[in-house]
Parts: sequence; structure tokens; C-alpha cells
Amino acid sequence: MSTTDVYAIESPAAPEVQRNWWVYIVLFFICLINFVPYLWVVMTGFMDRAAATAATPTWLFVPTFEAFSYLIFEKGILWNFLNSTVVAFASTVLSVSIGMFCAYAIARYDFTGRDDVSFWVLTNRMMPPVAVLLPIFITFQTLKLLDTLVGLIFLYTAMQLPFVVWMLTGYFRDIPKRYEESAMVDGDTWFAAFRKVTLPLMMPSITATAIFVMILSWNEFAFATFLTSINAKTMPPAIMAYSIGANVEWNVLGAAVVLITAPLVLFVLIMQRQLISGLSQGVVKE
Amino acid sequence: MAETIATTTPTEKVSFLSRFGPSNKKVFPWVLMAPTLIILFAIGVYPFLYALNIASHNIILSKPYLPQFFVGLYNYQSLIQDPEFWHALKTTLIFTIEAVFIEFWLGLGLALLFQRSIRGMSVVRIFILIPMILPPLVAALVWRYMFFPGAGLVTYYSGKLGQVLGFEPIPFLSDPDIALQTLVFVDVWEWTPFMFLMLAAGLAQIPRQPYEAAEIDGASAWRVFWTITMPLLRPAILIAVVIRTMDAFRTYELIVVMTRGGPGNATTTLNVLLTKTGLEFFDASRAAALSLLMMMVIIVMSFVFVRVFRSKTEVAE
Repeated sequence: MSTTDVYAIESPAAPEVQRNWWVYIVLFFICLINFVPYLWVVMTGFMDRAAATAATPTWLFVPTFEAFSYLIFEKGILWNFLNSTVVAFASTVLSVSIGMFCAYAIARYDFTGRDDVSFWVLTNRMMPPVAVLLPIFITFQTLKLLDTLVGLIFLYTAMQLPFVVWMLTGYFRDIPKRYEESAMVDGDTWFAAFRKVTLPLMMPSITATAIFVMILSWNEFAFATFLTSINAKTMPPAIMAYSIGANVEWNVLGAAVVLITAPLVLFVLIMQRQLISGLSQGVVKE
Repeated sequence: MAETIATTTPTEKVSFLSRFGPSNKKVFPWVLMAPTLIILFAIGVYPFLYALNIASHNIILSKPYLPQFFVGLYNYQSLIQDPEFWHALKTTLIFTIEAVFIEFWLGLGLALLFQRSIRGMSVVRIFILIPMILPPLVAALVWRYMFFPGAGLVTYYSGKLGQVLGFEPIPFLSDPDIALQTLVFVDVWEWTPFMFLMLAAGLAQIPRQPYEAAEIDGASAWRVFWTITMPLLRPAILIAVVIRTMDAFRTYELIVVMTRGGPGNATTTLNVLLTKTGLEFFDASRAAALSLLMMMVIIVMSFVFVRVFRSKTEVAE
């Protein structure tokens, strides 16, 4: 690999074999630190109450689904799961399909005020969510949007838009303009050219963006806590309820953590490459 | 009748729409952007103006019977005179600066380590991604459990270690000074992977020629790092650090779950103070004023960042 030489200049002191050796040790410890806390909580989810609250950590135990059946059958957590799924999915589809056109305009057209618009879009991401929480709460109250999925979907769509626009603008710049221009010369309308030429080329980037946006919506906590109560309650505020107070039932909390993270783990396992390219997009393009 | 409608309407429609259509290079981008801009206005600008309005009145949500009137800048003034505000600002700044500083250097170190292709990279990558893919709420809950007195892994094993080495059990979350450091630790755990990813992507973009030139000149590794790697990495550093700073500044789940701002007000950051003011004391006006002050701090901070980095980049070029 070409990076080998670069690396050799950067640390010429250590001999090659030994360096590799400690790099792998460092990596092993990083993996351990990153994984063990999560693994431990996941394990707790499969313990019974006594094992989970014991003062001495139990590493070996007979797994039980006690906590899961409590959450599912007595607490109806699947309802929250469904809410989260609907909200994450709908807001992702909406924000990507709306933001896509905005990103396209910024990337393709040289109009007055373009830089100002793209900067203004980005500033919307800087706002602390808690800062606009109160006005949004009052507005939702008047519009009867409190505790509804529609309200939450609209809000998340708006929240994710700056991010979508920011990421997709970079990707659109990568696609040569002449492809769609030649399609239009051949007699296609602008929209047909966009749909037949640009969109297929953009699909991998759009997927990466969508995955990332979906994860952000799935994880959102502050708004979900204050804008939903019963009907539209999503997973994060539902889970928060199991961790309040001094006598936390750790196995129930562990099971809840398994449920909220299961889709994420699946996503990461299937899509890790797209995820990483999506995450580091801003750096590569700006 | 029907015929006239059929013949006139379509032509009129087309001519009207085409004024905004793709052929009009000045207007068409705005048509494409309109939905985004309208939504952002509804959920970004409008709440902001609303907050400005609330902040200039005296609205207490739990006492709607009190007369509400215009108070001008009173809410800002009383906040600025409140030591609790300054304490929260200080705590927020300490938390943010400390966390981002550690994350940056750890992330950069890792990114340099990973410049070389590594065996089993795809597996390692998953492990590296775990902390930042977990919902921030879950990351906070996980570590709350780890540090929980009498149940957590960290408290248990550090206690055991303490018995062997002879130190007292560490009050990770109950000592005012240690609690903030514990929060910084968890933030570093959660977000160093992000820093690493951003900086690794930046490193991958650096061309090889300057390094080859440096090798011919026989420059030391230290010098190569400071004179080639760091300047060329600057754009990536700027984005990574600005994003992390803004996010760390408004950290919410982590603190609410792990310490709720305590013990006392040792870990009460601006965001936690804001939540307390608005949603526990229902002092809407004061909370709105506080949120606007917070935004001002964020804007000033990112402005300074961009300025400092831009000027340096220009010099480097």
C-alpha cells in the first residue's frame, strides 16, 4: 500500500515487527474498552433479578428471558418500538427526499446568495435542541401536535435537513454535470434527466446519508421526552423511565437496551462501509 | 365551453410554471430549495423569534394567572447577575474544552496508528464504531451502571483493586470534583471514535509528495508531523473540532442520566440549568433568555474557531 512509506517516515524509530506487535495490543485494548461496558449491560438483560442486582458481578449464568417478557407483555414496549420505527423511517424518507433537491441546487447552480444559504442551513444544526424546545412545545400545544407521531415526524424531518443538505451537497459536486446535460440534449426533461442519470449515480451516497439520519432519529431523546407522553412515546424516553430512582432493575434496563440497540447493531454489521464513508464525508469534501 | 377550457388552461399552466422551471437558471434553484427553507424557517427561525418574544416578558408556565407584561432585557440582566449562571458557564466550558482536547489528541493518535492497513480491520472497525452508534442515552445508562455504587463493574473492580493497593473506594459520581471528570471520561469514550474517523479521512486525503520531499531532506519524524501533517490536516481538524465542540457544549443525555447536574451543582452545565429552569421551575421567560445567551456563546465560539483556522490556513497556503 502507498501509505506504508508515509508511515515509515513518520515513525522511523521503531523496527517494523515490534511496532506491529504493540499496535495490535493497543487495538485489542481499545476494542475491549469499547465493547465490554455494552456487552455487560446486554448480558444483564438476560439475567434474573437476583443476579443483576448482586454486589459481585456474575459472568456465568443461565440466560433467562424474564426481563424481556416483562417489558413486552406487561409494559407493552413493542408499541414504543413501533413508534420509533415509524418516526425514524418516515422522517428519514422525508428529510432525504426534500433535502436532496436543496443540496442539488446548492451544488449545481451558481446563484446569488448561494454561500449564505448553505451557511444558514448549517447554522440550524448549531442550535441546542433544548433552546427551541419551549417555543416548539407551546406551538405544538396550540396545533394539537403534542404526543402525536405526525408532530414528531415533522420535527425530526426539520432537524435532520441541515445534515442531509450538508452531506448530499458534497456528493452531488462529485457527479459531473455533463452526464445529465447530455441526457437533456437527447430530449429528456430536467426531471427525467435527474431521475434517470443523477439519481442512480447518487444512490450509494443517499443510502449512506439515509442510514445515518435514521440512526440520529432513532436515538433522539430530548424532544421525544418532552413532546410525547403515551401514544407517541418512542424508545428513548420509554427506556429512560426504567432507569429513574435508586432501585433500578438492571436486568429490565439491560433488556430495554438490547431492544433499542438491536436494529443499530444490525445496521452496523450490514452497512459498516457506507456508514464510515457517510460519517467522514464532511472532511473529505469541504 | 369545455373545449375552450381544454385548449386554454394547459398552455397557460405551462407558461406560468415554466417561468419557475429548469430553464430559468436564476429562479429554479430557489424552487428546488423552497421546501427545505420553508421547513427550516418553521422549526428554526420561528421558534427562535418566539423565544426572543418569551424572553422579553415574564411568563411562568406554572402560574398562568399572573399578569404578563413586557420586561425588556430584565431576564438577561438577572441571569448575568446570577452566580449560578456563571458557574454553569464555567462548568460547561471546562467540560467541553477538556473533553474535546482529549478526544482530539487520542483520535489523532489512533488515526496515525491506523494509517497503515491493519489485519482484521473490518472487525476492529465495528468495535470502534460501537460507542458512537449507541444512542447517547444508552451510552449514558451503560456508564451509569458501570459506576453505580454496589452494582457497577467499575466500582466493584476498582474497589477490589483498592483493597489490594490500599486506596479508598473512589466516589466516581458522588464527589463534586471527580464527578465532572467521570463525565469527561464517558464523553471521551463515546466520541473519540468520531474524532478518529474524521481525522483518518482527512489523513487519507493528504498527498504523498511533501513526505517524499521531506524524506530526501532527511527531516525528523517530529518535524514532518508539525510542518507537513498538521498544516495539511487543518481543514479536517477544523470540521471535526467545531462539530465536536458544538455537540459537547450542549451535551444533555449524558449529564441528565449520570448525575442530574449534581452532586450539588457541580456538573450543572448550561443545558442542565436550562432544563431545570424551564421544565422544573417552569420559568419560561428566564429559560428562553438563558437559551438565547447559550446560543450567543456557541455562535461566538464557532466564529472564533473558523476565524483562527481560516487565517492560519491562508498563511499556510
